[in-house]
Amino acid sequence: MTGLAQAAPLRRRRPVARAVEGQELALVAVIALLWLALSVGTDTFLTGSNLRNIVFGVAAVAIIGIGMTPIIVTGGIDVSVGSMVAVVMVVVAKLIRDSGVSAPLAVAVAVGLGLALGCVNGLLVSLGGIHPIIVTFGMLNVFRFVALRIFDSKQVTGVPDTLAWFGGGQAGRGLLGIPNAWWLAMVLAALMWCYMRYWATGRHWYAIGNDATAARLAGIKVRQRTVAAYALTGALVGLAGCVLIGSGGLVQQNAGTGLELQVIAAVVIGGTSILGGRGTVLGTLLGALLVGTVTSAITLLGWRSELTELFIGLFILVAVGVDLVRERRRSAR
Amino acid sequence: MTTNTAAPDQTREDRPAPGRERTQWTRAVRFVLSERVALLSVLLVVVVAWFWFLGQNDYLVAPYDADYLASALETMVPLCLLGLAEFIVIVSGRGGIDLSVGSIVSLSGMALGFMVGEWGWPVIPALALTVLIGGILGAINGVLVAYLGFPALIATLATYYAYGSLALLSNDKAPISTKPIQDLHSLTRALDLPVVPDLPLQVLTFLVPTVVVVWLLVNRTTFGRRLYAIGTNDVAARFANIDVRQTRFRAYLAAGLLSGVVAVVTVAQFASARPDAGSVGNGMALPAITIAVLGGVAISGGLGRVAGVVVAALLVVWLNAGILLAYEGSDGSQVQLFALGAVLVLSALLNAVTLRRRGGAR
Repeated sequence: MTGLAQAAPLRRRRPVARAVEGQELALVAVIALLWLALSVGTDTFLTGSNLRNIVFGVAAVAIIGIGMTPIIVTGGIDVSVGSMVAVVMVVVAKLIRDSGVSAPLAVAVAVGLGLALGCVNGLLVSLGGIHPIIVTFGMLNVFRFVALRIFDSKQVTGVPDTLAWFGGGQAGRGLLGIPNAWWLAMVLAALMWCYMRYWATGRHWYAIGNDATAARLAGIKVRQRTVAAYALTGALVGLAGCVLIGSGGLVQQNAGTGLELQVIAAVVIGGTSILGGRGTVLGTLLGALLVGTVTSAITLLGWRSELTELFIGLFILVAVGVDLVRERRRSAR
Repeated sequence: MTTNTAAPDQTREDRPAPGRERTQWTRAVRFVLSERVALLSVLLVVVVAWFWFLGQNDYLVAPYDADYLASALETMVPLCLLGLAEFIVIVSGRGGIDLSVGSIVSLSGMALGFMVGEWGWPVIPALALTVLIGGILGAINGVLVAYLGFPALIATLATYYAYGSLALLSNDKAPISTKPIQDLHSLTRALDLPVVPDLPLQVLTFLVPTVVVVWLLVNRTTFGRRLYAIGTNDVAARFANIDVRQTRFRAYLAAGLLSGVVAVVTVAQFASARPDAGSVGNGMALPAITIAVLGGVAISGGLGRVAGVVVAALLVVWLNAGILLAYEGSDGSQVQLFALGAVLVLSALLNAVTLRRRGGAR
C-alpha cells in the first residue's frame, strides 16, 4: 500500500551525495563477478584483444552517456542522439574524404556541429516549453532527414583513417594498450563527475531535477542550465561520432540507429533516476561497461546474439527496481 | 515531476476588446486554435486540396484521387490503432508512455504465425488468442508501472528490448509465411464497393469497430472517467476513492490489446509473420506517439480525445501519401521523416501555447 501513494509528491530531500553511491558499488560487484566467472569459464575472455574490444565497443555509448546523465538528472531526456550522431558522421566523413581536412579540424567540426544540434534541442525544450521526449522524438526524425539528405542516397565509402587516433585499430591504442576512445570516456567522466559534484552550476542540475520551480525561486537560471545540458550532450555526440568514424572505411546510412536507447539504458543501469535529481556519470560509465561485458560474454559463450537485448531489458528492470526499493526505504525512514 | 522549465506563470492578459467587425473572425480563429479537432480538420482539407491541385497540374507522378486516398487508408490502420493505444496510456498520466508497442506487435504476430502457420490451429480462435497475448504483454507493462511503480518510460524501454529479443529468438530471426499464413491475406483484400472508392477490408473489419469500442470505453464507461481523473491528478483521484493502480494497470492492458489487434492486421497485410514487424526503421512507437500528440493528447496526462487521434492519423497518412507522389525515389520517404518530425514539434508547441493561454486544448 505504500508504493504509488508516496512515489510522486513526497520524495524526500536527500543528504549530500556520498562519494560513491550504493548502486555503483553493486555495479562494480556485478561486473567483477561477471569478469571472474567469464575468465574461469572461457579461455578467450581475459585476453588483451577481447578486453580492448569490450571497452572500445561501448566507448561511444559511454561518451554520449556522460552528457545524457545531466540531461536525465534535470528530469529531461534526449532520444535524438542516434540521428545526431548520423549527421555528425556523414558530414565529417565527407569532409575528410572529399576535402582532406586534418584531424584537429575534423574534430572541431564534429564537436561544433554536435553543439549546434544540441542547442536546437535545448532551446526547444527550455523556451518552447515542450516536454523533452516530444521535442527529441521530433528532432530524431528531422536530424535523420538532414543526415539522409547529406548522404544523398549513397553510403560514404573509402573514408581515410584521419581520425585513427580515436579508432579501434593499432593507431587508436593508447596508454597501457587501452583504446584512446575509452581513455577519453574515462577522463571526460572524471571531469564531469567533479563538475557535477563540486561546482555550483553542476549542483544546479540536481536542483532543477528535484524541483524546477523551487530551483527557479532559489535563483537558479533554469533555462540556461537546461540548454547547457543539451548543448553539452551535442558536443559529446560530436566526439562519439569521431570514435565511430575512427578506423575509417565505411559510414552507412543507418549509422547511429537505436544508439539513443543504448545510451539511455547505460545511464539508467548506472543508477540515474529517470525522474530526475539523482545520478552520477560514474554509474553511467559502469552501466556502459556492464552492457559491453554482457554483449561480449554472449558472443564468447556461443549464445544467440539476440539474447543481448533481453539481458539489457532485464538489467534495466533490476537496476530500476533496486533503486525503487531503496527510494521507498529512504522515504519511509 | 514535470520537467517543464517554461516561463513564469503568465497571468492571463486582459486584451482590449477588438473592433466589433472583427469579433466573428477572431472568434473563429480562436475556435480553430483551441479546438484541436477543428484545427486538424482544417489542415486535412488544406493538405488534400493542395495535393489534389498539384495532381491536376501534373506535378505528381500519379493522380491523387479518391481511389488513391482510399488505398492509402491501408497504412492508417496500424498507425491509428497504435495512436489510440498511446492515447490511452498517455492520458493515464504520471509520465505515461508505451515504447514497447512495436515489440508487442512483433511478438504477438510471431505467436499468430506459430499458431496458424506452424501448428495449424483454426484461424478465428488463433486471432482472438493473438489479441489476448498482446493483452498479456501489455499487462506485464501495467504491473511494472502501476503496481511496482516503475517509471513508464523505463519499464516500457526494458520490455521493448525484452519482447523484441524474444520475437527474434522465437523463430531464429526467420519470418513465418507458410500457406495458412498467406491465406490470412484475404482479411486485408481491397473491397469492390459500389459508389464509394474501394476501401481495404481491414478498415471496416478492424479499424472502425476498434475505434468505436475505444470511444465507448473512454467516453461512456466509468473506466474512461477514472482514466481522465487519474491522469489529471493522481492524488485527487485517490481521495475520490478511485483505485488508481487498477485503473492505470488497465490502461496499459488496453494498449497491449490494441497492439495485439495491430499484430493481426500486420501479419495479414504482409501475408507473413515477421519477427521485426514492429521494429523496422524507427519502430512503430514513434509514429504512434506522434499521432497521439498531434491529436491533442497532452503528454502530462488527463487531456485528449479519440476524435483528435483519428483525424490526426488521417492527416498524417494522407500527407505521407501525397509526399510519396510528389518526390521520386527515396526522396519521398526522407521528406516523410522530416514532415513527421516537424509536425510533431510544431503541434507540441501549439499544445504548449494553447495550454498556457486558454487552459488547454480540448
